[in-house]
Amino acid sequence: MAENYVGKRVKRTEDPRLIQGLAHYVDDIKLPDTLHAVFLRSIYAHARIKSVDTSAAAKVPGVVAVYTGKDVSAKIGPVPCAGALPDLKTPDHRVLATNKVYFVGHPIAVVVAENRYAAKDAADLIQVDYEELPVALDEEKATQPGSPVIHEQFGTNVAYKLTAGEGDIEAALKSADKVIKQRILNQRLAPIAMEPRGVLVRYYPGEQELTMWTSTQIPHLARTQIALMLGFPENKFRLIAPEVGGGFGSKLNVYAEEALLGWIAMQLNRPVKWIESRRENIQATIHGRGQTGYLEIGYKKDGTITGLRYNVFADLGSYFQLLTPAIPTLTGLMLSGCYKIPAIQINVTGVFTNKMATDAYRGAGRPEATYVVERALDLVAADMGKDPVEVRRKNFPAPSEFPFKTATGLFYDSGNYEGALKKALDISGYHKLRDEQAKARKEGRLIGIGVSTYVEICALGPSQAMPAGGWESATVRIEPTGKVTVLTGASPHGQGQETSFAQLAADQLGVHINDVTVIHGDTSIVQYGIGTFGSRATAVGGTAVWYAIEKLKEKANKIAHHLLEAGEGKVTFKDGKFSVEAPKVKAASVPEPVLPAAGMAPGASLPDPEPHGKHVSLQDVALAAHLAKSLPQDMEPGLSATYFFEPKNFTFPFGTHIAVVEIDRETGEIHFQRYVAVDDCGKVINPMLVDGQVQGGIVQALGQALFEEVVYDDQGQLVSGTLMDYAVPRASNIPWMELDRTETPTDVNPMGVKGVGEAGTIGATPAIVAAVVDALSPLGVRHLDMPIKPETVWRIIGKNKTGAA
Amino acid sequence: MKIEGSHKISASRARVFEALNDPAVLQKCIPGCESLEKTSENHYNAKLSAGVGAIKSKFTATVIISDLVAPSHYKLTVEGKGQPGFVKGSGDLSLEEFEGGTEIKYTGEVNVGGVIASVGQRMIQSTANMLAGKFFTALESETKAESTP
Repeated sequence: MAENYVGKRVKRTEDPRLIQGLAHYVDDIKLPDTLHAVFLRSIYAHARIKSVDTSAAAKVPGVVAVYTGKDVSAKIGPVPCAGALPDLKTPDHRVLATNKVYFVGHPIAVVVAENRYAAKDAADLIQVDYEELPVALDEEKATQPGSPVIHEQFGTNVAYKLTAGEGDIEAALKSADKVIKQRILNQRLAPIAMEPRGVLVRYYPGEQELTMWTSTQIPHLARTQIALMLGFPENKFRLIAPEVGGGFGSKLNVYAEEALLGWIAMQLNRPVKWIESRRENIQATIHGRGQTGYLEIGYKKDGTITGLRYNVFADLGSYFQLLTPAIPTLTGLMLSGCYKIPAIQINVTGVFTNKMATDAYRGAGRPEATYVVERALDLVAADMGKDPVEVRRKNFPAPSEFPFKTATGLFYDSGNYEGALKKALDISGYHKLRDEQAKARKEGRLIGIGVSTYVEICALGPSQAMPAGGWESATVRIEPTGKVTVLTGASPHGQGQETSFAQLAADQLGVHINDVTVIHGDTSIVQYGIGTFGSRATAVGGTAVWYAIEKLKEKANKIAHHLLEAGEGKVTFKDGKFSVEAPKVKAASVPEPVLPAAGMAPGASLPDPEPHGKHVSLQDVALAAHLAKSLPQDMEPGLSATYFFEPKNFTFPFGTHIAVVEIDRETGEIHFQRYVAVDDCGKVINPMLVDGQVQGGIVQALGQALFEEVVYDDQGQLVSGTLMDYAVPRASNIPWMELDRTETPTDVNPMGVKGVGEAGTIGATPAIVAAVVDALSPLGVRHLDMPIKPETVWRIIGKNKTGAA
Repeated sequence: MKIEGSHKISASRARVFEALNDPAVLQKCIPGCESLEKTSENHYNAKLSAGVGAIKSKFTATVIISDLVAPSHYKLTVEGKGQPGFVKGSGDLSLEEFEGGTEIKYTGEVNVGGVIASVGQRMIQSTANMLAGKFFTALESETKAESTP
């Protein structure tokens, strides 16, 4: 395979349209005669609905229809949840509330009007008579006797309990010289995709054809599920994910609004559109994280970890979205981190609360696990008075120990944790940094260095381990003109696979990258696929492309062999040309080019399919395959191949992140001095895309560590409901990042790629928290809960001052 | 959220207590109160125009006076609903005499929901304090006005 593109920093082919504002997000798609939907949402966290009066709303000029829960509940199936756990209590989640509302933002009614303004005005006129009910908000308190129960039919707020892990944890903790305990919070976060959700639906009653444009990461899965909700045939239902402005897991879901708009379009026989406002986005698009846990870690005098137990209360919210109950189980899987821990136990209690559902947010359960393990190692190091790096090294498995089996039941494919750590230490000048820190401390400065060595589970995943298939699909076609079309079942929405898959195909086929087009996200064009999440698109979807091309080349090779009349000679493919190895070839017969030139630019002509002596180009073969005048006997015409790739394992990328911060003693503000990240995601197709993924992930991790928090008040009112109150990091908060890589390929796929989409949020959060804690360690600080706000730091410094005085 | 404070009025305790029980006075004192109609003893329906920060709207409210211990204790509960959500507030007022007037000490609680909560939450404390201040200032001028011969 020629390496003209793979491994190079090829500029994203997506960017020109995005930068110029020429891309088409859902709201950019305008259909004539479109109606607009606006939702009325609950202003209470928990209340009985005594009545809903829509009469005034229906009279507003321009309003076409108003629907409430009573109108639709029997017509549209429940919002699906794919999490299958033993004894899971699953509430019936209807698209609109009927008798009760369970969280602020719970949709109660929808107004459909000629324009958004009329719909909004009318929604304001809907009278809902609520009977307020007491709320259950805290995932721990909600499990205690006397707490209000959200779903009365269950008699409890506990949705499930789950214990997992291997090894005798009691014995392991007993055998330790010391056991450290720590309560650890992983606060609720809002994913805040740049583009909120949006849905546009068109129904053609004559053709009985339903078309939905929706901002999703999983077009095919969404189509299947929405078809089931609507009782509409899946094969007449086209779902398109157009340009999608970020998802971070929040669009790895099937939402009530999507199905409801589908139903409305069929009721009214007119296109209908809904674009989520930012306030709705923070209220009623899934949240992430939301765990309160209790850690116990045992260790020997020499720093060897003997066992780890984590009892965690997971805040699930009031209803399940697609993967709500499954997310905390991923936390359990990754609790071994990149360490040899002989016994691990996780006890998960999944708890209903009067809040929006939690679900997958960039990392989805794994950042929580990494945070717990990394905090645990730091607590051990602090307790021993040792360098956190040394405690980590003590517990790493060696590269020769791979595939490495964890006490959580996973087999890590490949890894060289020491390699990434060493590189990060070298880049940062770690030992010099420690010397400088010691000097600065003598001057009274608060400087902290945080190190996290992480491993993550990516390329989700083998179908056995996934709720709805873990494979991915690709079709690769060479068109008669020789242009290459790649159809991928992955659904990139910012990751850049239109570029990286084109790099891959261009190299494999020996064509120019501009001759490759990658198509995704349209269920009527692309064969069934699973979608983009869990850092899977390249490692699983890209591998499907790789195999499809190999399959296609086999066929092309046979055609070339025929065209070249190679006989016993062996035909090889290099740089876009098929050649016969043995030079003795007689002149080939010339097939007549008779393909009509309709639709081609004036003056353009089809490539000459005539074999040029000892070789034929891929374009020659493609044309011959389509003309079908001279093909090997019994060969199907055309030149395309489809491959469904089923991975045999997950992949386990890893790395080391080092943060250096200085704290302003007067204000408590945290300033970054350095940020070093060495990530190992196996083979890299486009280093620029990998850097972009890591950078974005670090920014979101920094958000969790220092800024972000979904806050509900004691009545369940969402008080962090706008971007004035929900603090996402701003440009000025983001440090310069020194990024590097090590490359440890995996054998799970032939390209050796692992996935990198979530690495930043997994590796960076603990490094940043560790740096702040380290900075404050002279004041006796061992642990702080996120987000670590300047106010928290300032109070600690202030208290210390008073204490000293 | 909790609010508390005190306000001194240069009028007798009996006069202040009487004013607090007079719907006409209440209508003038409750900030933004456009109408107040008695529905039963100590129960009123009101129309209020109020706002928190940029969120301004009309509310329909119920006003309830309870826990009356003349002339020293009085409780006012207002529950308003409007397009941007709801506002609920209650205040316990205790009236104490001092040389030259009456000191009203109040403790109360304010809850809001809907858009007001998600957009205006951080202004609510200051808004609540401001509204309480307006109420007592108006009450003071009412008691003065009526005691002026």
